[in-house]
Amino acid sequence: MKKKLLGLLLTAAMAATLLAGCGGGDTPASGSSTGAKTYALVTKSAGNPFNEKEAEGFKQAVEAMGGTPVIQHPEAATADAQITVIQSLISQKVDSICIAANDENALQAALEEAKAAGIKICSVDSTVNTASRQVHVNQAGVNEIGQCLVDAVYDLTGGEGQWAIVSATSQAANQNAWIESMKEIIASDSKYANLELVEVAYGDDEPQKSTDVTQALLTNYPDLKVICAPTTVGIAAAAKVLQDQGSSVKLTGLGLPSEMAEYIGDDDAHSCPYMFLWNPIDLGRLGAYTSIALVNGDATGAAGEKFTAGDMGEYEIVTAGDGGTEIILGAPFKFDPSNIEEWKSVY
Amino acid sequence: MEKKSIWKKITGSREASLVIVLVLLCILVTIKNPAFLTVQNFMEILKNNAVIMIMALGMLCVLLTGGIDISITSTLALAGMTVGMLYKYNVIESTLLGFVIAIAIGTLCGLIIGLIIAKGKVIPIIATMGFMYIYRGLAYLVAQDQWAGADALGRFKDFALESYLGFGVLNNVIVITILCYIVFFILMKWTKFGRNIYAVGSNEEAAQISGINVSNVKIAVYTIMGALAGLCGALATSIYASAQPNMQTSKEMDVIAACVIGGVSMKGGRGSVICALLGALVLSVIGKALPLVGIDAIAQNTIKGVIIIVVIVLNVLTQRMMDKANLAKREI
Amino acid sequence: MAGKSGRTLAAVPERSLKKMLVSWEGMLFLLFIAVNIFCKCISPVYTFTNVLREMPKYLTEIFLLFPMAYILLMGEIDISVGSIVCLSATMSCIVSNAGMPFPIVLLAGLMTGTVCGMVNGLLTVKFRELPTMIITLGTQIIFRGIAEIVLGSGGTISLTNMDGFRKIAGKIGPFPYLFFLVILCAVIFTVIADKKVFGRRLYAIGSNERTAFYSGIKVNRMLFTSYTVLGLLAGLSAIFLTSATYGANTTTGKGFEMDAIAMAVFGGISTAGGKGKLLGGVISAFVIICLRVGLGQINMNPQVILIILGALLILAVLLPNITQHINQKRKKASKA
Repeated sequence: MKKKLLGLLLTAAMAATLLAGCGGGDTPASGSSTGAKTYALVTKSAGNPFNEKEAEGFKQAVEAMGGTPVIQHPEAATADAQITVIQSLISQKVDSICIAANDENALQAALEEAKAAGIKICSVDSTVNTASRQVHVNQAGVNEIGQCLVDAVYDLTGGEGQWAIVSATSQAANQNAWIESMKEIIASDSKYANLELVEVAYGDDEPQKSTDVTQALLTNYPDLKVICAPTTVGIAAAAKVLQDQGSSVKLTGLGLPSEMAEYIGDDDAHSCPYMFLWNPIDLGRLGAYTSIALVNGDATGAAGEKFTAGDMGEYEIVTAGDGGTEIILGAPFKFDPSNIEEWKSVY
Repeated sequence: MEKKSIWKKITGSREASLVIVLVLLCILVTIKNPAFLTVQNFMEILKNNAVIMIMALGMLCVLLTGGIDISITSTLALAGMTVGMLYKYNVIESTLLGFVIAIAIGTLCGLIIGLIIAKGKVIPIIATMGFMYIYRGLAYLVAQDQWAGADALGRFKDFALESYLGFGVLNNVIVITILCYIVFFILMKWTKFGRNIYAVGSNEEAAQISGINVSNVKIAVYTIMGALAGLCGALATSIYASAQPNMQTSKEMDVIAACVIGGVSMKGGRGSVICALLGALVLSVIGKALPLVGIDAIAQNTIKGVIIIVVIVLNVLTQRMMDKANLAKREI
Repeated sequence: MAGKSGRTLAAVPERSLKKMLVSWEGMLFLLFIAVNIFCKCISPVYTFTNVLREMPKYLTEIFLLFPMAYILLMGEIDISVGSIVCLSATMSCIVSNAGMPFPIVLLAGLMTGTVCGMVNGLLTVKFRELPTMIITLGTQIIFRGIAEIVLGSGGTISLTNMDGFRKIAGKIGPFPYLFFLVILCAVIFTVIADKKVFGRRLYAIGSNERTAFYSGIKVNRMLFTSYTVLGLLAGLSAIFLTSATYGANTTTGKGFEMDAIAMAVFGGISTAGGKGKLLGGVISAFVIICLRVGLGQINMNPQVILIILGALLILAVLLPNITQHINQKRKKASKA
């Protein structure tokens, strides 16, 4: 009897403190009542220098415009963790959320709730679906990246021969979009008819697995000429395997200069003649300027609108492939032996 | 008669049955892809899985005492990341110093866990679960959202490429793995300390009464585990020329699985260095073989899981058969 | 008193231990109040409505806590629940996208979870020599692996028709339906563990499986039932998670198993079996949730939050042990 009573009392008291301790009602957040607006950036995950540079650019731009930046790295690279972060940001009544999505669709419910609370939403780097966003800040068009990589493969193979892809996980949306685009480009032009894509291997963005699959590619395809790795972890692991074995297979793809500096070179001692990436700092800055434009009402996210992104100049909102709208940062940047020394200390 | 006893010996020993599984596995893969059976390929297997193989030794000791440690990859990340950062910011240059620091960090991490478990009487899985979060979090804090890449690691990454420890024949990493196995083989088989570990795992109370300091043994095994995890942190950083705060996440389960596949009992007291070695090899060969035999990447995890379940179930079934046979013998 | 309730068979003669267990829930409750005051102080937006609004994602994890507590009480473990959640969510999305009516969708999610739970249960009772840790490690890889295969390249599925899921994500006032369901489950599972024969047997098995077996308790049936129920509730958890994500992907439910175990352990339920109460688990779950919400609102580095939670977890087990140790010493000293 006593125990039942104790349990009841505890439960009742718990509910009571929840009510009393929490104040019982909404009090406006202190941040939004003052003049400075708060702009939030949610990255894909913590502990990744690419995300960190993106956040750095975002912070710079927001502070330059007199706003308050809020940077949130979720605890893991999952949509679940990002939902938690978005919910917390709604509580904090931020003015905008700029997000690099871990899953295109899974954030919809949370972002709709944010939208209903008057928060402006844009995505950056990796998009959310059109229903959840106002505009997407794209590092480079999907087809542009595809074209760049296919041309690199064409160049490195000498126009014919076997090549393979080392990707991240088989579920990574942007990876798959780039791979699809590459396949389409190759199919559409007879110039590429002699290129034979033998396999798409997945290294799950783990150094060990990426190493294993790269070695498996070398074992399985002795005539392989080029590996293309459009992922930062995969390209570094593949570069190391090729360079260590002194393999004649060449590498290209998308990679961080600071990670890849050791492997970039024209001679046989280096595995990667050149690779591409965009500037994550600029990407973060453009994300910030877009957020600010949305909050200020300079842009609504409709196609055809133009706005000034601080010192980055004017950008135009265009229609994206998925039916929504996007802003494109620019063409992917090429890193080769001539400029790698300069960039490896930047990001 | 003679033949029968050999046959019995083979079917009767768990180690032998695992060797058969391993050989069968290799034959099957080779039929499917002849490229599998090359010296270079096996060197790659050993090198890429050195981390799992070495940590399986520490896990063996922990499991023998009836404990478990799921914090090892967090310790690994903390040690590896710290060393990586030290090279990145040019605090240290020497390769040896890097290893010493990593092992020291690992040892300290393990010692703390050991003390909490032995002196604080916290159940191993809970203590190590807590430290799994703590050490991993610390690794992230040490990293400050940076990686230590190939360029930052300088000479340190060459350690995993060169073979000066193996007289130019065997890769350094493989030499270290073999050395660890030799040391542990001797330690577990012929030293008092090794026997104490078995004693504690078989019957803790009896061990205590017979004068073994149980809590010291426990502290020692977790410290050893930590030291090995620290060593592996340095090795992983060198092998992959990259230190990242999320390195080897959830690979602790692979290490535990390796031991259990090898026949190490999670209840304590049963298992050997050979068990750990065979289990780790089976797992490594599976990991290497799946991409080689052309199984769809998407199905690889499922197949790995199925193989783990099948192997451990086979283990149980052979054990049951052995027990039955022994019983029958006694009746006669 | 203690003997009648049969709660802690091993501890029947130890009055001080019983006292300590009782006070553990009391301490947790004080901690709950303290955490709320603390969060209120550090975060200006830590309000009732905000906390409730941020809660559903965490609430889905509490479903797993109850049957997990049962399994822990028996001295076993299940680390595959996160994967079961993933597979169940995937299946219910697929059935929903095939145009099935919502009740069938619900059933699909729950059935998938139940079947997965039964697989775990079956393996556990058929191969009793194997530690459940390793069995469920295997199934953890397999269940998520199947979800990966089903989801195919792309690894994500989104609902084409969200009406049903939107409905169950509804609220009564500021309280989501989910909240009431969790409380209902809490009451049912706590009553069973504390008052019913089933609960008494759980503790008996956890204290000494062999003795329990010889005293006529059908250990295998208890294990099988508990694993199946855990699967079922993982399915339920998956459905509510889907209502928050409008879909599923290969990382859905990752880490749920550790969270559920942490909640239980923090609540005083021993993974060595036979000790602790569900009430403690429930309170500790809310302590953890409130702390995470509060620290999240001041944008604390999530890795630091994890460090804090890890330290709390260890302290939660360490502190009672130390007090017990001191008490024993004092007793010895007074005797002398």
